[in-house]
Amino acid sequence: MRITSGMTADNAVYNLNQGQNVLNTLQEQVSSGVVVNQPSDDPLTTRQLLSLQDQVNAGKQTTSNITKGTLALNVANTALGGMMDIMTQIKSAAATMLSGSNDPTSIASVTSNLSQLKAQLIDLGNTQNGNQYVFGGFKNGQPFDTAGNFSGTDDPLNVEITSGSQVSTNVSGGDLLRGGTPPAAVGSGATAGGSPVDILGSIDSLIAAISSGNTTGINDGIKNMSAAGDQIAGAQSDVAGRLVRLTNAQSMITNNQNTLETAYGNLQNVDLAKVGVELSQQTTAFNASLAATAKITQLSLLNYMT
Amino acid sequence: MSISNLMDIGSTALNAQQAALNVTGENIANVNTAGYSRQQVVMASGPSISGAGGVPLGTGVQIQAVQRSYDAMLQQQLVSNNSTYQASLTTQTALQQVQPSFNEVATNGLGTAVDNFFGAWQDLSTNPQGTSERQALLSSTQVMTDTFHQMNANLTSIASSADNSLTGITGEVTGNAKSLALVNSQIITTQAAGGSTNELLDQRDLLLQNIAKDVGITSTVQSDGTATVTLAGGQQLVSGAKYATLYTSQNAATPPTNDIMLTGLGNPPPANVPATDTNVSATVGGTGNSLGNLGGMLQVRDSIVPGYLSKLNEMAANLVSTVNAQQSTGYGIDGPPATTGHNFFAPAGVTAGTIALDPGLTAATIAAGFPTATDPAPTSSGNNANALKVAALQQQTSAFSTGTDTIDGFYNSLVSSVGTDTQNAQNATTQGAAYLQQLGTLRDSNSAVSLNEELTNMTKYQLAFQGASKLINAAESMVDTLLAMIGAPT
Repeated sequence: MRITSGMTADNAVYNLNQGQNVLNTLQEQVSSGVVVNQPSDDPLTTRQLLSLQDQVNAGKQTTSNITKGTLALNVANTALGGMMDIMTQIKSAAATMLSGSNDPTSIASVTSNLSQLKAQLIDLGNTQNGNQYVFGGFKNGQPFDTAGNFSGTDDPLNVEITSGSQVSTNVSGGDLLRGGTPPAAVGSGATAGGSPVDILGSIDSLIAAISSGNTTGINDGIKNMSAAGDQIAGAQSDVAGRLVRLTNAQSMITNNQNTLETAYGNLQNVDLAKVGVELSQQTTAFNASLAATAKITQLSLLNYMT
Repeated sequence: MSISNLMDIGSTALNAQQAALNVTGENIANVNTAGYSRQQVVMASGPSISGAGGVPLGTGVQIQAVQRSYDAMLQQQLVSNNSTYQASLTTQTALQQVQPSFNEVATNGLGTAVDNFFGAWQDLSTNPQGTSERQALLSSTQVMTDTFHQMNANLTSIASSADNSLTGITGEVTGNAKSLALVNSQIITTQAAGGSTNELLDQRDLLLQNIAKDVGITSTVQSDGTATVTLAGGQQLVSGAKYATLYTSQNAATPPTNDIMLTGLGNPPPANVPATDTNVSATVGGTGNSLGNLGGMLQVRDSIVPGYLSKLNEMAANLVSTVNAQQSTGYGIDGPPATTGHNFFAPAGVTAGTIALDPGLTAATIAAGFPTATDPAPTSSGNNANALKVAALQQQTSAFSTGTDTIDGFYNSLVSSVGTDTQNAQNATTQGAAYLQQLGTLRDSNSAVSLNEELTNMTKYQLAFQGASKLINAAESMVDTLLAMIGAPT
């Protein structure tokens, strides 16, 4: 083949460009620390990276949902704890009347005490998390009036904890304090102590029984209060169960995020050792071709003609 | 046979070597001229005459031709490969401008904006009556629609700058066609006068290559050395000394785009009359607009950008229709009574460029509530059932032109296909460049000037010139000797 100096020059430029391109790509990877800097670097990996990123984002959103759900359930849990304490006080107050004291002063003091406790129970029923009533369902307004009538809804306030799986972050006030909507019948005689219990209604009957010195009524009331305690304890363990579910979901998501981010990193992070070696190889090669180009382009017959 | 004959031989030799040195000089002078083909002197010995005693003797040397080293097939390949290379270079450049809009791996783009939009619905579901959650949803929707608009604007401007560049390209083609017609006519005149057309032929070939870079052509070299050029659609651009004008004319589409028009042949060609000239827009770029800078620009304007735009439009339309369908079944927190049936996005004629919040939508009419048995319509303000349903749309698959997918999946595929297209264009360009480089090397090997070779030739011809001078010297001294013999004064 006939070789001209023009060809040598063109080839040198072409090959130096190629070398420079390779160096440039490696340089970009080293300085950015990522393998795929634009989709065209590796379209298939881009597709994987994007869906991993979507899953990581979804995980972040669910984590935020779980945090909010946990807060709401903790508020409900605290309120339920307060209700438990009140039930204990009501039971002990009622028990003092079982011995059959007819002293009007003590009757008045116990009934007023019970009325106070009932009012506290209603206040706890109106507990808010932010501006949401944790026992009000979908209703945004006090679910209990001062008489204890429930006007909230029984709907679960769900949050999404994983794609397609939801957990309710509230407790139905109607079911909790009234035994259902409309309120359950107040147990007496054989039905006393049955469940579900209309707790507020039962307290009213208990107060009435104490005022009238009706020992049977007081007995029934105490049985009802005992069942009421169970009802609240049941709600507590339900809330605790859901909190556990949220915690589990959270730790699962954390694990999942770690896995996803590791996978993302494996695809996207530059193996610096590998790229470093490649870079030094390419630099050597590039230096060699620069040196060769400089030598070859100077060769000419002219140097030897006089 | 006489001594003067010897002088004649010397004289032909001097002439021939001098002419050869001239050609060598021309070659050296044009060592860096684009498209120049080196020339070689073809020498032949003169006819023999019968000398003393009937022995045939030579009559010196004659220059038979100054030959141009030239390979017609390589030239054709250079012409056609320049066309395909330019087309892929143009599309690659355009795709490299498209890609940053879709570069979701490096920056937060539309994909993140859509994720945030659905995230805002999730946030709303945790506090359906919250004013800040409702505002946040409106803002993240605004960010998402802005991103749609931004991408639409980027793509549209790439298409319109491709469209604008058509005018310059057609102008360049016409200019080169005019030069080629001029070279053609010079070839004819020079040949008629018996001159050498070598340099003109080089110019002709270079012009053909330059035209081919801009537009796909078929060129035929006629027996008289002139080149005839036809466009990919079969219309003649240059024939002999005549050429046609290739120009752009805005059509009636909205927004108007440039049509490529061609006048009839002439020198100068007839004036541009868009109404009656041939519209070559459909054919000038070759099959799939794969030829020349012009073809590449048409490809960008007519298929690459519209392809991505239609995907974005499809995504916007899908998002709008699914979210609207869900939103309009739910209830807001306006009133009382809370109202229903509101669209979230403006529903009519949705494209990536026009997607927007419904003008009637307010923070209060965002429908987070959905009627349930215990919370019938109109719903309570704490009802989050519809917000959950809208948020769940992110994971819901629906039918797209590329198959059933989620919105995220559809968009991710789009990003990946932009990447694939860009990568393919880059590969095609790299390969085209390597092939052109190879063809150029072959052409250079055959036609380019080698300084070392010319210097060697120069020495060779110089020595021969000196030899011929010596011959004349010898003949002269022979004459002197003879004259001395007859006693003539010297």
